[in-house]
Amino acid sequence: MAGLTLPVGGWRWPGWRHLPRDTRDTLFLLGVIAWIVLPHVPRLPWWCTLLTALVLLWRGQIALSGAPLPRRWVLVVVLLAVAALTLFTYRTLLGKEAGVTLVVSMMALKTLELRARRDAFVVFFLGFFIVLTQFLGSQSLPVAAAMVVSVWGLLTALVLAHMPVGQPSLRQAAGLAARTALLGAPLMALLFVLFPRIGPLWGVPQDAAATTGLSGSMTLGSVAEVALDDGVALRLRFEGLPPAQRDLYFRGPVLTEFDGRQWKRREPAGSDAREAFEALSAPLRYEMTLEPQRLTVLPLLETPPPDAAPRVDGLRVLRGAALEWHAARPVTERLRFEAEAVLRYRYGARLSRAQLHDALALPSGFNPRTLAWAEALRHEPRLAEADARTLAAAVLEHIARGGYTYTLEPGTYGDATGHDAIDEFWLDRKRGFCEHFASAFVVVMRALGVPARVVTGYQGADPRPSDGYLIVRNSYAHAWAEYWQPGVGWLRADPTAAVAPDRIGLTRSLQPRPGLVAGALGTVSPTLLAALREAWEAADNRWNQWVLNYSSGRQFELLKSLGASSPSWEDLAYVLLGVLCAASLAGAAWAWWDQRHQDPWTRLAARIRRRLQRLGVEAAPHHAPRTLAQAVRERLGERGAALAALLEALDAARYAAGGRRMPPAAWRREFAAQARALARDGALR
Amino acid sequence: MRALDVLTLPLHPLRWLAARARRRFRAWWMARTPPSDTHQLRQSNIYILPTRAGLMFGTTLLVLLLASINYQLNLGFVLTFLLAGSGVVSMHVTHATLRGLTLRLRAPAPVHAGEAALLEIVLTSPGTARYGIGLRAETATPAAFSWIDVPARGQAVARVSFVPARRGLHAVPTLLAETRFPLGLFRAWTLWRPASSVLAWPAPERPPAPLPAALGTARGEATTRRAEGSETEGVRAYRRGDPLKLVVWKKAAKHAGVGGELVSRDTSAALHRQLWLDWQASGSGVDEGRLSRLAAWVLAADAGHVRYGLRLPGRELPLGQGESHRRACLEALALWRA
Repeated sequence: MAGLTLPVGGWRWPGWRHLPRDTRDTLFLLGVIAWIVLPHVPRLPWWCTLLTALVLLWRGQIALSGAPLPRRWVLVVVLLAVAALTLFTYRTLLGKEAGVTLVVSMMALKTLELRARRDAFVVFFLGFFIVLTQFLGSQSLPVAAAMVVSVWGLLTALVLAHMPVGQPSLRQAAGLAARTALLGAPLMALLFVLFPRIGPLWGVPQDAAATTGLSGSMTLGSVAEVALDDGVALRLRFEGLPPAQRDLYFRGPVLTEFDGRQWKRREPAGSDAREAFEALSAPLRYEMTLEPQRLTVLPLLETPPPDAAPRVDGLRVLRGAALEWHAARPVTERLRFEAEAVLRYRYGARLSRAQLHDALALPSGFNPRTLAWAEALRHEPRLAEADARTLAAAVLEHIARGGYTYTLEPGTYGDATGHDAIDEFWLDRKRGFCEHFASAFVVVMRALGVPARVVTGYQGADPRPSDGYLIVRNSYAHAWAEYWQPGVGWLRADPTAAVAPDRIGLTRSLQPRPGLVAGALGTVSPTLLAALREAWEAADNRWNQWVLNYSSGRQFELLKSLGASSPSWEDLAYVLLGVLCAASLAGAAWAWWDQRHQDPWTRLAARIRRRLQRLGVEAAPHHAPRTLAQAVRERLGERGAALAALLEALDAARYAAGGRRMPPAAWRREFAAQARALARDGALR
Repeated sequence: MRALDVLTLPLHPLRWLAARARRRFRAWWMARTPPSDTHQLRQSNIYILPTRAGLMFGTTLLVLLLASINYQLNLGFVLTFLLAGSGVVSMHVTHATLRGLTLRLRAPAPVHAGEAALLEIVLTSPGTARYGIGLRAETATPAAFSWIDVPARGQAVARVSFVPARRGLHAVPTLLAETRFPLGLFRAWTLWRPASSVLAWPAPERPPAPLPAALGTARGEATTRRAEGSETEGVRAYRRGDPLKLVVWKKAAKHAGVGGELVSRDTSAALHRQLWLDWQASGSGVDEGRLSRLAAWVLAADAGHVRYGLRLPGRELPLGQGESHRRACLEALALWRA
C-alpha cells in the first residue's frame, strides 16, 4: 500500500511561482475543495473531517513530491470503510447528513484518482452539489458570498484545465472564469425571476426547521434561554402608522395546564373557539414575514378577528382554542403573509364554569405558602366583594410595591422536583424574569378563585423600524397572563409591566452580555456599533425580501404589474418561454448578420468594379484604385479623365500617410454621377 | 465469434447502415469545399456539440434544480441558474475561440517514408487572444493533439506530424482543429483539407549496402597535372555549398586584400572518379527494395562528397554533387514508376 511519506528534512517550499504547472493546478484545486468543505465541518462527524483533511494533505504532498498516485484497490477499500462508518454513525446511507458525509468523502477520495488536468469533472460536479447542501442550513448573505467564491474557484479550476499550453497565471484564468460567469448573470436573473416556484415535489423536508424559538410548554427558565438569542423572529410592516410599543403583543401558545413544574397547552376538549368575539376598535392591516419555527402556532399580533384568517400561500391557517392560530403543518420555510388585528376586543364573556375548570386547576401539594398568602389576601376586608379586575389590580400592586426585581439571571428556583418554586420566588427571593412573574400571577389568581392562564409569545419590537419594517427578535419572547372576568371575558394582565415598566413601554429589552468584538466596538464607539448593526440588518432584510422570499406570490404580483389580470403557472411559463425564444431569435439574427457582414472597403471596391465593368474597363479584385485609374485612362481616354482623377484621389486618401479608411459620402456621389454620365455617353455612341 | 457477440447481432444492420450514411455524408462534404492551403474559419465551417462532460454538467444542473425545488431554496435557484448561464456563455466563447481564425499551411518539407513529416500551420487571430486550440490529423489518435495559444492580433505556429507509410507524393491528410476552451462543456471543431502534398522519399535501406565501385575517367591523370598558376594540384574555385574544411584558407588570406576569391580543395576521388548508381546494380528483389538501396547509396555518396549520377529504367540523372542534386535524385527515386 502506498504509504504516507512525510517530507524529508531538506525539502523546501520552492515558491508559488516556481512550481510546475501540474502541481500548481492540483494545489489550487485542493484549496478550492477545502474552502467548499469548510462550512460543513461543524455538521460532519469527526472521522469524516479527519479523513478529508488527511486525504487532501496526502494529495498535496503527492503533487509536491511527484510521487505516484495510490493504487485503485486502496481507494476502494477506503471507500468501503467510509460507507461502513457512515452506516454506523447514522444508521442509514440515505438521508441528508449521511448523504453529505458520503459525498464529501467521495470528493476527497476522487482527488487521489485524477491528474490535474484530465477527468476532473466528477470533482467539480460533486463540489457544486456540496455547495448546494450548505443552503439547507442557512441562506444568509455570508453563505451567498461564500457560494459565489466557491463557484468562482471551481470555474477557475475548469478554465485552467482547458488552457493546456504554457503556464497561464491564476489571475488570468480567474479573470476568464469571472467574465464567463458575469456574462451569464443576465440569464441567471431572468430565470430566477420567471422560473415558477412550485411546491415540494415529494415529502416535506423537516430538516430545514428552526432550532430556536418558543415551544409549546414552559418551565421556569426556558423563555430566558430564548431571550438570549438576538436573531430575528418576525418582521412587520403596517399599513399606516404602527401601534404603540405597549400594544405589540404577539400571541403564541397559551399554556393552561400546570403540573407544578411545567406549563403546558390544554388539549382542546370543549373548545371555546366559537365563543363570542366582539371587536372594539378598527382592524389594523399588516404584513408579516415569519422565520421558520418549531411550532404550528403562528405568533400573530393580538388579535385577528375570527373571520379574517391570515392568507398564507400554500398553508391553511385555522383558528384554535384561546385565540391561537394554527398552521396545518410545522412552518419550515420563511413565510410572508398579510393579516389583520383588532387591538381592543372582548372575548369569551359567556363561558360556563365547566369550560373554565381547567383555568382554575392547581396541582395539590405544590406551593402551599403561596396558596396561604392568596387566602390571606382574599380575606382582606377591602377585597371582600372584589371582582376579578380588582383582585388582579391588587396583586399587580403588590408586585409593584413588594420589592420584586426583574432580572435575566435570577438563578434556579425549586428543588429537583420543582416543589415550591413559586413559593421561593414569590415570597423569598423575589427576583425573576417574565415567566416567573406570569407563573406566579396565574397561580395566585387561581388560588383567589379567578380563572387565569399563561400566554407566551413576543412583546414589542425594535424601537426604530429598519427599512420600513418593525423587527421582532427572539429576545422579545415574553410570557404574560390572562384572567377571566364574568360578563367581560378574558383580560390581559402583564405582571412584568408592574415590576419593570420600561420593559414594556420603551422596549429596551434586557441585553445579554455582548461578545468580545462587539464589546470592544461598543466601548470604542457605541453609535458605530449600532449603525453597523442597523446597516447589516437592512442589508439582510433586503436580501430576505428580494431573494430568499421570492415566492410564487411575488411572481404573480410581477405578472399583474405587467398587465395579466389573473396570473397562473401557465402564464409564468409562457412568459419565460417567450423571453427565451426572443433571446434565441436575437442570437440567430446576430449570427446571420455576422456571417453576411463584409468589410465596408471590400463592399465599396466591389461596387466600383461593377461600375467600371459596365463601362467596359477590366477590373479585377486585386487591382488597386490607382491601377484602375490607369485602366480607365487607357480605355476611355480623355472622357474618363475626371473618373480617373477620382480614383486616384481615393487611392491617395486610403493609402497615404494619415489616410482615412473610407471616402466621404461626397466622393461616392460624384463617382456615381461621373460613371452614369460616361455610361450615357457610351450608350449614345 | 465470442458468445457476447451473438447478442449484438441485431445491431449489425444498423451499424452497416450508419457506416454507409457516414460515407455518403463524407463524400458530400468533400465535394462541397475544394482543398486549400488557407482555411478561413467562419460560422459555416465550425461545428459545435456538447461533450460528455457537458452532458454530465446538464445532469448535475437538473439534480441541483430538483433539490432546490423540493427544499424551496431560493439560493439554490441562484446557484443553478448561475451555472446554467455560465454554461450557455461558455458555448458562445467556445465557438468564438475558433471563429475568425485563419489557418495557413506552410509548404511541407520532404521526408523519408516512415519518418514523421512535420506540418507547420500558422494560425492568425485578427482580434482577441485564443487559448487551447488543438490540431491533429483527423485519422490520428485523439492523444496526438498539439495544443497552441494564439495571441491577440498575432500569429502562432503549430506543428502536426504525419507519417507517410510509403514513398511517393502524399496529399496532406485532412486536419482537425478543435477546442474545448473555456469550460470543456462544448467541443467546437473544424475539418480542413489542405491542397499541398508531402513528398516521401524511399526509406533508405538499413543497414546500408556498400557503395558500388567508382569508375575512373579517361582523362584521369592529365586532369590532376593541370594546375592553375602556381597552385598545387587539386584546387578549384570555391563553389557554394563546399564544406568549410575544404577551403584553402591560406590562399584566401593572401588574396583577400586584392579581391581574390576563395578556393577549395578538390578531393581526389571526386576529380577522377565517377560513381554511377545503377538500377541494375542494386541487387535483385522487389522494386521497393532496390529503390531503398539506391536511396541509401545516394545518401552515402552525398555524405562522402562524391560526384554521382543515378540510372533508373527510363530516367537518368547526370553526375552531380551537392544538396540540390541529392534532392533531385531522391525525388526521382520517390516518383519513379515501373
